[in-house]
Amino acid sequence: MIKVGIPRALLFYFYYPLWRAFFTELDIQVVVSPETNKRILDAGLRTALGEACLPVKLFFGHVLELSGKVDYLFVPRLISVEHKEYICPKFMGLSDMLRVRLANLPPIIDTALDVSGRRGLDWSHFFEKVGSIFTRDRHLIKRAYCSALEADKNFRRLLKSGLLPPEAMDAADGISEAAATSVASPGFLKIGLLGHPYNLYDSYISMNLIGKMRQMGASVVTPASVSDDLIDNQTKRLPKRLFWTLGKQMIGSALTFFENEKLDGVIYLTSFGCGPESLVGELVKRWAKHRGNPPFMMLTIDEHTGEAGLVTRLEAFIEMIKRRKKNEDHVPSYGQPVHCC
Amino acid sequence: MDLFLGIDVGSVSTNLVLLDAEGEPYVQPLYLRTQGQPIAVLQQGLALLEEQLSPRDRICGVGTTGSARFLAGVLVGADVIKNEITAHAVAALKIVPEVQTILEIGGQDSKIIILRDGIVVDFAMNTVCAAGTGSFLDQQAFRLNLSIEEFGEKALEATNPVRIAGRCTVFAESDMIHKQQMGHTLPDIIAGLCEALVRNYLNNVGKGLEILPPVVFQGGVAANLGMRAAFQKALQTEIIVPPYFNVMGAFGAALLAIDHAAEYGETKFRGFRVSEIQFQPRSFICKGCPNACEVVEIRQGKQVLARWGDRCGRWGITEQDSSQAGRSNLKSIS
Repeated sequence: MIKVGIPRALLFYFYYPLWRAFFTELDIQVVVSPETNKRILDAGLRTALGEACLPVKLFFGHVLELSGKVDYLFVPRLISVEHKEYICPKFMGLSDMLRVRLANLPPIIDTALDVSGRRGLDWSHFFEKVGSIFTRDRHLIKRAYCSALEADKNFRRLLKSGLLPPEAMDAADGISEAAATSVASPGFLKIGLLGHPYNLYDSYISMNLIGKMRQMGASVVTPASVSDDLIDNQTKRLPKRLFWTLGKQMIGSALTFFENEKLDGVIYLTSFGCGPESLVGELVKRWAKHRGNPPFMMLTIDEHTGEAGLVTRLEAFIEMIKRRKKNEDHVPSYGQPVHCC
Repeated sequence: MDLFLGIDVGSVSTNLVLLDAEGEPYVQPLYLRTQGQPIAVLQQGLALLEEQLSPRDRICGVGTTGSARFLAGVLVGADVIKNEITAHAVAALKIVPEVQTILEIGGQDSKIIILRDGIVVDFAMNTVCAAGTGSFLDQQAFRLNLSIEEFGEKALEATNPVRIAGRCTVFAESDMIHKQQMGHTLPDIIAGLCEALVRNYLNNVGKGLEILPPVVFQGGVAANLGMRAAFQKALQTEIIVPPYFNVMGAFGAALLAIDHAAEYGETKFRGFRVSEIQFQPRSFICKGCPNACEVVEIRQGKQVLARWGDRCGRWGITEQDSSQAGRSNLKSIS
């Protein structure tokens, strides 16, 4: 059986169910690299080019983890997934970077997907090309394509219901009911967590931020549950259209979060050295101010970030919200607020 | 008398404050240099405090804060272990109840806390870079062969502060040397440096925040007269430096301990004998998975008091912890 390796990094968190279903239907075994650990990160830092961002470096580590264990590496060249919009240029050049830096890699499948010139995301052409590497049976490819779309639809539906991507992937496989209930259990606080999926859901890189927030009594809402339509509508308010899809998702989700009165605060996890985020982060910060300053905090992570710094900031942030809430409870609906401390 | 102990173990200083039930300092607060030995210095501080107490004095609550708050909390048996932001805010509120802005610059970090109506509404801390914190001033004073006290006083003699790049301390240093060689006077350079650091602080840590009076300036760097003057000039408002500015974290931790005691009673304080106990800290690399976490373990004799550093929690302390489990997995690195 042919084995295709998919690194557990970057766009894995967006498209894994789609890709996996396609390959599985073609009778190809999909191998995913294990969850990030120190060895993977170190290997990535050693081999990737210095000026890449942490998530890209990490991608190198995951590729190395798969190298030698699979017949093909699946690193699609995603140029554009939306009309007149683009994915980060580093993602477009991933396969080239890998070839330049790493020797003895299995053949890389880097079929391009570019829908910038048309409306609507259409994977059919992409999958026809990928499929033709393995089979000439066009009916089989078509069938695999349909089953991929079906898996993707199911995944998106689970995300909308509030599951986080890793939980949704598990739930789709029917392995984890615990994950689903952990979301359902109401925390004392509800916090919007912004950030790219490959940072948020990689618990090694995020230093288990989501787990820590839940432990502190906060339930977490992420951009994964915000619909594309809502993001498009929100970003229409910006004076200029954003042509970076991933950045647009961040701003659209941020604006949605700032309007959501059920949220007690918003945290934005960014990775140091992310070009688009240096601008988007600033924009989000300004919109937060615009929206009457909801509790908002930016956390920046990098390869050498100590956990202590993150914990202190998170603790102080949660504490601040709790005290604010406690104080609000002492504000009568009429007259002067009463201060307890 | 019923007393409450607050401990702040930071990167540069370890501070201890003893408060009475009213929240007033009972003995002179201690400000000790951590010198990379948090345990030894903490024990020394406890011994110094004990000497000043009478047999009738009783510790009824302990709070710890600072970057080594968990370590300190385990050693002394803390009732409250709180982050520095909360501790500093609580302390400033006690001394200046109407405070709206707290500027805090310590050895390795700097922060700003915005309060409205007695509640923290926003805060920011310096990011990856420690530029413009106490350590840099220390280092520059040393380079100019001045004590840090003289350094601050010298700044006040300036007539025409020079402009120094404050964005990065590496640039700041080369800028200072350059100005020195050009023939600018020392006070002008020092005052220029203070202004650069303040500018840097306000543009980075304080960016986008609404700084309203009363402004309280605390942390070790608040001792520096030059920095006080530079803040005053930049913000055009009175800068209040509270009497215990360099131990405000410990002060806040003690206040939190008072609150805690009022709610829960009973302290977990292990007594001043803690200062005599031999604690054996050690660290090892867990080989349970490729994460290779560096786990720190604090022991008192055979008993394991605490372990941390593991991502998965497998090294958490259990009831009957005999520390034998998984021994084959370890490799000692210390």
